[in-house]
Amino acid sequence: MLELAIGIILGGCALGAGVAMIAGVGPGIGEGNAVAKACEAIGRQPECKSAVTTTMLMGCAIAETTGLYALVIAILLIFVAPSNFINLLLNALK
Amino acid sequence: MRAPDRTVLRETGYIALFTLILSALMQAVFLVIGKWDYTVLLGNLLTGAAAVANFFLMGLTVQAAAGREEKDARQMMRASQGLRMVGLFAVLAVGVILPCFNTVAVILPVFFPRIAVMLRQLLLKKEDKNEK
Repeated sequence: MLELAIGIILGGCALGAGVAMIAGVGPGIGEGNAVAKACEAIGRQPECKSAVTTTMLMGCAIAETTGLYALVIAILLIFVAPSNFINLLLNALK
Repeated sequence: MRAPDRTVLRETGYIALFTLILSALMQAVFLVIGKWDYTVLLGNLLTGAAAVANFFLMGLTVQAAAGREEKDARQMMRASQGLRMVGLFAVLAVGVILPCFNTVAVILPVFFPRIAVMLRQLLLKKEDKNEK
């Protein structure tokens, strides 16, 4: 029974990490769109390249944050949460 | 590979400076609450450097993508984002697994560049108001 409970904990954590990483796909698409539009803007007005690049960099940094949140949640679910949950379970059984 | 653009270097320098300031603030908070030890410093150094490197690599990709066709630029950014994520995952995993790094000090610096960008927007708004 204990093995089953530990298996469910590990499986749940792995599943949660996988689901969290779905959010990692979004920033790539968003950054791609932003850069594509910036290329268009630079092509139209090459003299604005520096200003467009600065704005684009900051925009990409902000867009990437959601991916980083997902990454951190996945890391915590894979490496930190299982041992904590198993300890909780073992303490509850004592 | 082309040399980094002046804009990319300037923005990376700004992000690095803010990461340094926020790292010092984080160390101070750990010191005040009495949880400071060498693992906090090592964790902070590991991910602080990784976060700045991530931003710099993003800047290099943006610079390389700026001169290309729209479709190529889009694909390049997606590929770069995926690779940078994998790199960050590896760094964070090492930081969380090894006992010589404090887990909280490993995770927090990843968000420092985002805070730096947010603070920059606030500062720019204030400058604009002062100019008006």
